[in-house]
Amino acid sequence: MYYFDELIVSEIRKNNRIVLQELYKAHYPMVLHLICSNSGTEQEAKDIYQEAVIAFYEKVQQPDFVLHCKVKTYLYAVSRRLWLKRLWEKKRYRGQIEEGDALAGIDEEMIDIEAKEEIFHKMAASLDELGDPCKSLLEAFYLRESSMESIRDTFGYSNTDTAKNQKYKCLQRLKKLFFNLHNPPPHES
Amino acid sequence: MNPDRALIDLLDRYAKNTLPPEEKAALEQRMEGDPVLSQQVQEHLNLIESMRFYGRRRDLKASLEEIHDTLETFAQQEPRQPVMTVTRANPWRKYWPMTAVAASVALISILGTLQMTQSLETKQTAYYKELRRKVDQISKSQSRIMADIAESNKEKTGPVPETYAGTGFMVSANGYVATSYHVIKGADSVYIENETFGRLKVDILFNDKENDISILRINPELLTSVKSLPYTVSPSEANLGEEVFTLGFPREDIVFGEGSVSAATGYKQNPNAYQISVPVNPGNSGGPLFNARGELVGIISGLQTETSGAAFATKSTVLLHAITDMPVDTLNAPLALPRINTLKNLSKVQQVKKWREYVFTVRVYNAPK
Repeated sequence: MYYFDELIVSEIRKNNRIVLQELYKAHYPMVLHLICSNSGTEQEAKDIYQEAVIAFYEKVQQPDFVLHCKVKTYLYAVSRRLWLKRLWEKKRYRGQIEEGDALAGIDEEMIDIEAKEEIFHKMAASLDELGDPCKSLLEAFYLRESSMESIRDTFGYSNTDTAKNQKYKCLQRLKKLFFNLHNPPPHES
Repeated sequence: MNPDRALIDLLDRYAKNTLPPEEKAALEQRMEGDPVLSQQVQEHLNLIESMRFYGRRRDLKASLEEIHDTLETFAQQEPRQPVMTVTRANPWRKYWPMTAVAASVALISILGTLQMTQSLETKQTAYYKELRRKVDQISKSQSRIMADIAESNKEKTGPVPETYAGTGFMVSANGYVATSYHVIKGADSVYIENETFGRLKVDILFNDKENDISILRINPELLTSVKSLPYTVSPSEANLGEEVFTLGFPREDIVFGEGSVSAATGYKQNPNAYQISVPVNPGNSGGPLFNARGELVGIISGLQTETSGAAFATKSTVLLHAITDMPVDTLNAPLALPRINTLKNLSKVQQVKKWREYVFTVRVYNAPK
């Protein structure tokens, strides 16, 4: 149905950076125009567009992903909704922004996107609060999946056990920070 | 070793999916029996997954930022790219053969047209025609005589033939006659003739080329005395639509014509003439134009070809001016304009009868060239 778009999706799933780049370049002007003609700036257009592309990218990475519409339609719909929300927040909302091709299930999509956005920001905030060296340690272990030995060498611990202990402590702190932020405790009366 | 830490290690390995199958099964079995442990595991997995998600998204953001930067630099560099300079070839160099051809064609057409029309002047379809009569018959005889002379004796000068004829009329009792300048233009000798006076030789006293007026004077010795003229020269301009009459010699006999004043200006808005609807012909030139009271209002001068009934007459006021301005005026016989109009109350026939006595045919003799 969307042969070319299917091709793009399959390439993006393979983390083809060139395809991502071309995809990004191809649809940016559309969103730029959308935002700028609805009382937005170029910087805002960039933020919104990147959010939409990220949402798309992550969606594509999901194993059960099926393409239901053209990539362009998806990006436009998501950008539009994101921008409406941003305008609403800025109390500058002025009427309706013309909807491009209607996208079925956009509401669920937006809820999902917003949830992910929230997790991302929570995690970023938690890690920032955690500070170094815990942040770097956890990132090295969990994100880059470095071995305990290389972590020991990088961070200058006497042995792997100390490193493991340090990692454990850091993780406990992060857990506290993250879940407290994630599920803020009810105010004590 | 901290039991919690040991559990976390285990869970780390579980999350990384590096646990040996039997240990994984054992853990999952423990989780089923222990809801606290199960929640702990879920929390841990959630945290790790969130962290991984954060990491991935952060990387993605970074790479998108990079992509965007390339986009922006591309966009910024674009206008800076050297604009292709369009060097215009000298158009003259490119087009000169064409220009030359065009110029030649233009030149040929102009010369060709000139060749055919023989003139640069725009040819008018309607133009002014002076009404002096060329005497054809005599013209023919002239050429015959000339031929004879050429044959017999080239040095011998034959009789000078009459070449043009027009009309004139008396403006004063002491022998002054007015006519059109173009009638006597280039004349060698001028004679006037009518029934009353017979044939008289006249001298050209005054010419007004601009207004086409000439004043002639009858040789006093030949003039039989005239008491006074019955008509006057109108000092005011004729009105539009006023009935006017003329007498003239388009033929050998005097011819009467009538019409009215059509316009207060003449050919090409000449303010010194009238347009009149009097039928005139070559030979009428210099003839008097008079109104119903018998006053002279103009002198017939010409007509416009290709316009029916458009003849022109010089205004009598102009004639009066010409007479006043006349430099040559002999003291013993000044030009005395008639003062009393005796024709006023006469019928037209009576007026014409009086008038015709003072209208002459003017015969002009040119020296053969």
